[in-house]
Amino acid sequence: MIQPQTHLNVADNSGARKLMCIRILGASNRRYAYIGDIVVAVIKQAVPNTNLERSEVIRAVIVRTCKQLKRSNGIIIQYDDNAAVVIDQEGNPKGTRIFCAIARELRQLNFTKIVSLAPEVL
Amino acid sequence: MRLEKCWFCSSTVYPGHGIQFVRNDAKIFRFCRSKCHKNFKMKRNPRKVKWTKAYRRVHGKDMTQDSTFEFERKRNRPERYDRNLADNVLKAIPKIEKIRVTREERHHKNRMKGKKEKLLKEAVKELEQGISLVKAPSVLQQDPSLTLPKIKVKVSQQQSEENRAMEE
Repeated sequence: MIQPQTHLNVADNSGARKLMCIRILGASNRRYAYIGDIVVAVIKQAVPNTNLERSEVIRAVIVRTCKQLKRSNGIIIQYDDNAAVVIDQEGNPKGTRIFCAIARELRQLNFTKIVSLAPEVL
Repeated sequence: MRLEKCWFCSSTVYPGHGIQFVRNDAKIFRFCRSKCHKNFKMKRNPRKVKWTKAYRRVHGKDMTQDSTFEFERKRNRPERYDRNLADNVLKAIPKIEKIRVTREERHHKNRMKGKKEKLLKEAVKELEQGISLVKAPSVLQQDPSLTLPKIKVKVSQQQSEENRAMEE
């Protein structure tokens, strides 16, 4: 359950370290974002000497949430942290690597690039 | 669909039950119910929690090595369907279960061997040490029937019952 002001970890090597969600895309007055949703976020912390800087506004897709994810086959999955991957307007990741496990739901939402880069898809 | 084992209590996790927790190093922890999940969140060690299978195995309460456990093993390669094989497997399941149960019973019986005598011994000792709480020592000297005779355990148990009646 990601809402504006939620801080997110970054699960790629784009250069951002911490994000803060400022808007959830998809509908007006949407309250929460779950795995696979796109949010507008601001970079709170960035790695020095990279393309991304602090206080830059970017788009990101949620890949892990602490809130349980229910699948239609009855499995409930819960991750350790809230994490997102920085993407551009077309939905391609800005980084070249993805860290840690990500959810399989991203494949159906046409984030195949992210899924193929991920070391583990659960 | 696969029947997984609970990470905490080692019971079977049926489809639609429990929760999976994925740590950031991609290790999956499956829990059969919220009780196990909560205990995990409290960072309890399943080897130290008495109701888990892990505890019972470590402390010799349950059978640990048995050929019947070999049948219930995780196989990552799916078996090719064979009608005869499936038939035989279905027939074998109750048989194996029966063998397992009898072996477990035997294990329990062996484990409980000597338990009754131990309990009786302890009761006798307690009675000997605590008789002064029921009757004053001077009364006991006058009426030696209240003290324990130096015979075997069976009589002493009767004696203890008598004393209990007196307490009441």
